[in-house]
Amino acid sequence: MQRILDFVIRFKEYLTLSLLIVVSFLLMSLGNAAELRGFRTVVVGGIGVAQGLFSWIPNPVALKSENQALRNLNYSLSREVARTRKAMIENDRLRAMLEMKKQAAGSMIVADVVGRISAEMRGYVTLNKGLEQGVLDGMSVQTDHGLVGHVLSASDNYALVQLILNRDTRIAVKVERTRIDGIIVWEGGEHLLLKNVAKTQDVQAGDMIVTSGFSSLFPSGVYVGRVNDVRDEPNSLFRRITITPTVSFSTLEQVFVSTQKPSPEMESLLHVVDKKLQNKQ
Amino acid sequence: MALFREQNTLITDQPVLSNPALRYIMYAVIILLTSVIHVLFMGFITVGSVAPDLLLIVCIWIALVEGQMTGLLIAFGAGLLFDIVSADVLGTNALAKVLSVFIAGYFYNENMSRHMLGTYRFLFIVLFCSFIHNLVYFFFYIKPTDINFFSFFIRYGIATTLYTTVIAIVPMLVMARKSEY
Repeated sequence: MQRILDFVIRFKEYLTLSLLIVVSFLLMSLGNAAELRGFRTVVVGGIGVAQGLFSWIPNPVALKSENQALRNLNYSLSREVARTRKAMIENDRLRAMLEMKKQAAGSMIVADVVGRISAEMRGYVTLNKGLEQGVLDGMSVQTDHGLVGHVLSASDNYALVQLILNRDTRIAVKVERTRIDGIIVWEGGEHLLLKNVAKTQDVQAGDMIVTSGFSSLFPSGVYVGRVNDVRDEPNSLFRRITITPTVSFSTLEQVFVSTQKPSPEMESLLHVVDKKLQNKQ
Repeated sequence: MALFREQNTLITDQPVLSNPALRYIMYAVIILLTSVIHVLFMGFITVGSVAPDLLLIVCIWIALVEGQMTGLLIAFGAGLLFDIVSADVLGTNALAKVLSVFIAGYFYNENMSRHMLGTYRFLFIVLFCSFIHNLVYFFFYIKPTDINFFSFFIRYGIATTLYTTVIAIVPMLVMARKSEY
């Protein structure tokens, strides 16, 4: 007995440690026993009350992290809003384009604008579609909003489009409402000019201008612009009519190339007449 | 002056209260207060979900002053109390604290312990014991989950160990200042 007692006294720390470890494991195996739940509920409730008493003390660390979290949330929400807006705009644009493709008589080649050139009052854009995709010189280019220009030159995979905002632009057009004919030209700036419209003819601001069937380059009925301003010029029989293009050239991203080519017979006839007139002069 | 310093040294070498019963009551009150402080105010010094273990520092302190046996019993009681107030699995903190304080008890020296509290040695003991404590604690903490123990311990165990050691600088400096006078 004495020996056992001596052993216990000698190794009391180890024995206590072993005992406490065993008790700890037993408690762990108990886990959240039902008997403990009530007791814990009381303790947690008490702690909650005590924490509530001190909740008025501001916690700078928590405030900082909360601020950071809110800032992050704000940032991600802002980005989401921007993405949604962009998606909505893109959705509207694509819907309009699909609608336009349905309405188009001939087949269309969809192309992306990959480059923009602006030199000596000539506006050009480069498309990512060329001869291999069926894009040929002289084909008209448009968007769902209206006329863009015509293909000036095409390589295997790219095409150069001359915009209607170009010094060389001469387009035969009609006033959609009154069917009055005229010629569209560009003299710089953001607007086009409708020429050859007599003072007696009915043209009002807001009238839509469409391509007429007289054009050898462009199909008829394609929107070109809206009448912005009508003025009677002194000492002239004609009116000065400014047109706002329906196409926003600065935000041009996707276009349709109309595969309807101008008739070669009509083109050659016009060429001959043009030469004859030049010779007469 | 020399006598005064000698007297103070004698006083600091001995426990503050000579009556063991009163001392244990005082330890119990300290443990209780530390638990309350831990639960109520730990949020103020928590950095990225990592909080120092104040109870462990107190337990190591007691083990270094009172010895292994007393330290073991107090660590078990403190661990159990913390398991209850922190709504942890009962016995997890108790086991981790018992094991770490048992190791701390090996550094107990009847004549030198109170001097040791004011030196860097105390910090090393806290660092080592806290490491063992967190190793045991986090092992049982993540056992029921699919979390990888190694990565979790590196992230939280080591951080908690270091943070506890940093906080242990405060009592160390207090004791170092005390021993100067």
